[in-house]
Amino acid sequence: MSRDHDPPAAENRFDARRLRPGAIRFHWRPGQSAEALVARLERNGCWGQIVGPHGSGKSALVAAMRDAIRRSGRNAVVIELHDNRRRLPVRLHRMPDPGKGAVVIVDGYEQLGRWSRFSLRRFCRRRRLGLLVTAHASVGFPDLCRTSAGLDTAGDIVRDLLGDEARLISDEEIAARFHRHEGDLREMLFSLYDWYEQRRRGSGDSSAGSGV
Amino acid sequence: MARRFRVWQKKRGNRRTGSPKLGSFGEAVFFAAFFLLGCGGLAAVFATLVVPQWRANHEFVAGRCLVLDSRLGTKQADNITLYRPEIQIEYEVDGETYRNWTYDVRGEYSADEARAEKILAQFRPDPNRRCDCWYDPSDPNTVVLVRSSGWWAWLTLIVPFSFMVIGGGGLAYLVFSWGKSTERRAVLAGRAGSRGGNGHATSGFPCVPSAKNVTDSPGTTLAFRLPTEAATAWKLVVTILACLVWNGIVSVFAFGAIGGHLRGEPDWLLTLVLLPFAAVGAGLALFLVRQLLATTGVGPTLVEISDQPLRPGGSYRLFLSQTGRLRLDSLEVILACDEEATFRHGTNTRTETRRVYEQAVFSSQSSDVRPAAPFTAKCEVELPAGAMHSFKSDHNEVSWKLIVRGDAAGRPRFERAFPLIVHPPQNGNPDA
Amino acid sequence: MNGATVTIHFDGNGRVYHPGETLSGEYRLHGLEPDEIKAIEVSVLWHTRGKGDEDLAVHHFRRLEPDNGGWLAARTTGRFRAVLPNSPLSYQGMIVKIEWCVRLRVFLSQGGEVLGEKIFRLGRVASAKAAAS
Repeated sequence: MSRDHDPPAAENRFDARRLRPGAIRFHWRPGQSAEALVARLERNGCWGQIVGPHGSGKSALVAAMRDAIRRSGRNAVVIELHDNRRRLPVRLHRMPDPGKGAVVIVDGYEQLGRWSRFSLRRFCRRRRLGLLVTAHASVGFPDLCRTSAGLDTAGDIVRDLLGDEARLISDEEIAARFHRHEGDLREMLFSLYDWYEQRRRGSGDSSAGSGV
Repeated sequence: MARRFRVWQKKRGNRRTGSPKLGSFGEAVFFAAFFLLGCGGLAAVFATLVVPQWRANHEFVAGRCLVLDSRLGTKQADNITLYRPEIQIEYEVDGETYRNWTYDVRGEYSADEARAEKILAQFRPDPNRRCDCWYDPSDPNTVVLVRSSGWWAWLTLIVPFSFMVIGGGGLAYLVFSWGKSTERRAVLAGRAGSRGGNGHATSGFPCVPSAKNVTDSPGTTLAFRLPTEAATAWKLVVTILACLVWNGIVSVFAFGAIGGHLRGEPDWLLTLVLLPFAAVGAGLALFLVRQLLATTGVGPTLVEISDQPLRPGGSYRLFLSQTGRLRLDSLEVILACDEEATFRHGTNTRTETRRVYEQAVFSSQSSDVRPAAPFTAKCEVELPAGAMHSFKSDHNEVSWKLIVRGDAAGRPRFERAFPLIVHPPQNGNPDA
Repeated sequence: MNGATVTIHFDGNGRVYHPGETLSGEYRLHGLEPDEIKAIEVSVLWHTRGKGDEDLAVHHFRRLEPDNGGWLAARTTGRFRAVLPNSPLSYQGMIVKIEWCVRLRVFLSQGGEVLGEKIFRLGRVASAKAAAS
C-alpha cells in the first residue's frame, strides 16, 4: 500500500455507475433509428424481441426504445430481471394500469420460468398491452432487432466514455481488448476500468476534490 | 446543474424500472382499496353483530313470555346443512299481544345440530311455565330469549381490522415516502451511517463488521483465537456430498450394466451412456481424495492474536500451531487485504475480488509435524499506518485476513484464511 | 431555471476532516428567484464508486420548506453543520472507493431539481494499489 495521503479524487471513466444498463446510449447503425424500430414494433402488434449476446447493448437499446415509445404517445413499463430470477418482481394484477396501448418491456425475459412467461403473455393479451422482451436467444416473439457489438461501436463507446482523454487509448488497444473478450462489450469496458486506474495512478494524478 | 424531471427513470439492480410516482400511485390505490375494504367489513360487522348485541344487552326491556312451539331451523349452504333453534313465544307489550319466532339477536346458523337440539330442550312448550324475554322498545316484534354473546364472535373483527391495518399502514408509508429524494428515503429507511445522524457522531463504527465472532473465542496462548473462513470447510462438505450423490446414482446403473455383461447379456447402449458419467464420478472421487489429503492429513491450523480489533499502525503478537502428520517443506503466514465489488452485469450478478495488500509475516522451511508434536511459532504482525479499516456494505467490501499457506511433501498446497477486523485509527488520525 | 447552479464552500477551505470533527460550510444558489424554490435538502453522505454497484448512506439530512424556520435566508444562501462519524473513512481503492460529500438538492416550484455536490475527505487512509503477485 502506498503512503499517498492525497489520492486522486477524479472518477474512473469506466466506473460501474457509468456502465450500468441504460447509462451508455445505444449506438445506432446507419439507417437505423429508435423511431423506425417503434414503427416496426407497432406493425407486429407491439410484440417483439431484442436478441443478442452478453454485453451487446440490449439494455441500452431498451432504454432508447422506452423513450421512443413514450414519444410515440404510448406508455412504457420496464421490468429488469437478474440472477436467474424465475418470477416477475411485481404482481401483474397489482401493476397500476399503464394506459391504453402501453408496452411492457422485460429486460432478461429468458430468466423467467415457463409459468411466469405464460402469465405475463396472458396478462398482456388480456389488457391489450404490447410486450417487448430481450433475450440471448430467440424466445419466439417477432424479431425487432438483433444486437451485436462491432469493433466500430466498441471504439465509439470507449471514446465517448473517455471524453477529452480519448487520446490516451489507441485503436489497436481497443481492438486487442475487444477480441480478447470475444465481442462482449461490457467485459471489455470493465477491463478498461483497471487500465484507466493504473494509468491514473501511474501518472500521479492527484487532483483536488471537485466541487460545484 | 439543472435536471429535468423525468416521468420514467431507469433504476439499477434488480428492481422494477418505471416511474416511481406512477408506481407509488398504483400502490396507493392498492392500499386504499385494502383500507376501504377493511372499513366496509368493520362497518358490516358492527351493523350486524356488535350493535344489535349491545342493544339487546343494554336497551332491550325485560318481559315474560309463554313458549308456544319450538323447531329446528335448517338451511343448506355448500352441501352442508346448518341448524339453529327457533322458539315461538307469546308476550305482551303495553296491552298488545305479540307472537314471534326467536332465540337470540343474531339468529345465526351453525353446523352443530346437537347444540341446537340441546337449546330446544330447554324451551319445551309449556302453558304453565313462563320464561324471561327481552324486547326492543322501539320495535317490540324484535325479541330475544338469551342476551349474552359468545366471545368468539369478537374474533370476526380481526379480519376487517387486519385489512385496515394493511391498507392503512401501506398508505401511511406511501404518503410518508411519496416523491422523496434518494437521500431522504435513505434516511427514512434507517440506512443512515450512524443512528445519531443529523450532525451527531456516535461511538460506533458504521459499516465496520462486528468483531464479536473473534472476540468471543479466547485463545490458550494469546488473548484471542481466530476463526477460520468457512469456505474451506464448506468446500470439502460440498465435494463429499457431490461425490456421494453422483457416484451413488452412477453405481446403481453401473451394477445393472456390469451384471448384464457378466450374464452374457450386455446392454451396450447403457454401457456407452454410462461411460461419461462414470468418468465424471471418477474425477470427483479423485478431487475428493486431494481435498481430504489437503485437509485431514494436514490437521487443524490454529492462529491466535494478542488483541482484537486491530488498528492501523498497531503491532500485534501472533501464535501459530499446525497439527497433523506431515513433512512441511514450507509454511508461511501472510497478512492480506482484499477488496470485493459486486455488480449487475447485464442480467447476471458478478463479484470481483482484488488483493490490494499482501505482506509476509512469517515463513519457515522444512519441518516435521507429528500429532504429539505440532509445529508452533510466534511472530509479530504490524498493520501499516494509513491502512483502510474493514468495511462492508451491500455491494462492496474491504476485508483483512491472515493466510496460512503450506507446502507438504506428497500433498497439494494448503491454504487457510483467518479473517481480521480492523477499526479506524484512534481519534481517526493515524498521525495522532 | 436555465443556468441555475449551486456552489458549496467548506469552512477552512476543505481540509481533511477526521471522525468527531465538525464539518461546516455554506451553500449559495445562483440563477434562481426565491419564489422558484419549493424546498431545499442538504445531505452529508457517503457513497461507493468503483466496479461494484453503488452503496449510499446519509449521515446528516436537513430539509427546508416554506413552513420551516429560517426559510427566507435559506432561499439563496444557507449554512450546514454536522459532526462526522467514526466510519467509513474516505478511501481510494482499486475496485472499491468510498467518497464523502455534501449534496444539495433544490426542488423547484415548477417541477425539476437543481443538484450540487462537493466532495470532502474523511480520514487519512492511503490509497490502495494492487498487491504484487
